[in-house]
Amino acid sequence: MSQKLKETILNPLFKGNPITVLVLGICSSLAVTVTLKGALVMTLSVIVVCGISSLILSLLRKTIPGRVRIIVQLVVVAMMVILVDQVLKSFEATYAIDKQLSVYIGLIITNCIVMGRIEAFALGNKPWPSFLDGVANGAGYGIILLVVAFFRELLGSGTLFGIDILNWMGYVPNNLVILPPFALILLGCIVWVQRSIQKDLQEQ
Amino acid sequence: MNTNNNLYTIIYTTVIVVVVAALLAFVSQSLKSKQEANEKAETIAQMLAAARYDFKSELDKMSNSDKLDMYAAEIERAFLIDLQGNEVRDLGTDRDAIEVFSPKDLKRINYNIKGGANATGEALLPVFWFRNGSVVVPIYGAGLWGPIWGYISFQGGTPTIGGAYFDHESETAGLGAKIKDDLSFQLQFEGEQADFSQANVFEIVKGGAPKEADGKSVVDNKIDAITGATMTSQGLDAAIDTWLAAYAPYFNAEEVVL
Repeated sequence: MSQKLKETILNPLFKGNPITVLVLGICSSLAVTVTLKGALVMTLSVIVVCGISSLILSLLRKTIPGRVRIIVQLVVVAMMVILVDQVLKSFEATYAIDKQLSVYIGLIITNCIVMGRIEAFALGNKPWPSFLDGVANGAGYGIILLVVAFFRELLGSGTLFGIDILNWMGYVPNNLVILPPFALILLGCIVWVQRSIQKDLQEQ
Repeated sequence: MNTNNNLYTIIYTTVIVVVVAALLAFVSQSLKSKQEANEKAETIAQMLAAARYDFKSELDKMSNSDKLDMYAAEIERAFLIDLQGNEVRDLGTDRDAIEVFSPKDLKRINYNIKGGANATGEALLPVFWFRNGSVVVPIYGAGLWGPIWGYISFQGGTPTIGGAYFDHESETAGLGAKIKDDLSFQLQFEGEQADFSQANVFEIVKGGAPKEADGKSVVDNKIDAITGATMTSQGLDAAIDTWLAAYAPYFNAEEVVL
């Protein structure tokens, strides 16, 4: 694998993370991180949407008329989001989670990461690197989602993936943790940790 | 090739939209039966929750097939009534031919109750008698952002409410969504009495329903609304009034029995 391709995959996971560095996709990371299960399904959905949309649009990139390129991107992303939603609704195991995530699956289309990566990367690169870029950015988003959801479910409900971790020893679930503001506080802490590790992100 | 030419742009966008639409229509059709099976099991779980067989969170742990089994075992009789309270026809209750009403079906009935331009015919209302003596009836209406619906159970055909479960499509999380998520809101219905003698059958009161000295709600047709969700509370109140008023002739009949 070439150095450039490796960079494409690894950069979004930490150094150029879409949530903590680019500050995109904040809305859904506050909304769907109450439980790990929800966050995991959201992560997989975004990875699929981001990866395949990037792939399709990269394949089409030389044919898309410049003046309507955003509309064409929107049609493709919307198609992927609807497909993911339909598939989630069809399986017994994911139906309840789809109900719980409700509008947020549909709102993946407004997630700036998806359109941002298509506009910035897929329209100017070959299909394979574009696909990897989409998947890696979805994964970078997902890592933060899962970290936030881990703390929120553990402290807010005393469980992880619905399995009792703290409640049996008399832990009283903290309601503040369930509410969206706590996710923002947690995100702030993650950004803080990342910036103290990665000094070049600090402003002078 | 010049991709900025007008004709090319028009043809390109047309083709891509048609292709995407065809693909989505195909996927939607091929997954439809699976989605309907999931929706049916969900509806059954909501009715069982309203009939107080268990909490919805516990019922959710059962598989679709178990929910259908439980319903088939616990349903005594289900039938449709007209707006005068007369029975029209039986609904299927056998394991493989269970007839329940999805939110879309309830929407259609809701139009028929209200009459007007959207009505498609006579309003026929479902009544579900369970073996534990609960009579479950649905409600449907408009919340703040989208439809809300649910089920209310009455004890053996009396106006005393046994339980309730509500669901919604897109109410605000943490506020209006509490009609579904806040168990204490739904538990308020238990033991209250619907007043079938007037149009305002049940009230969800902003500012608080009358309380006894010990803080318990007075047994009447009033419960507390949800703080911060006035529109959803009002929508639910209106939905309950519309539907229960339509059921009033049935419940007001001298003897409500199977």
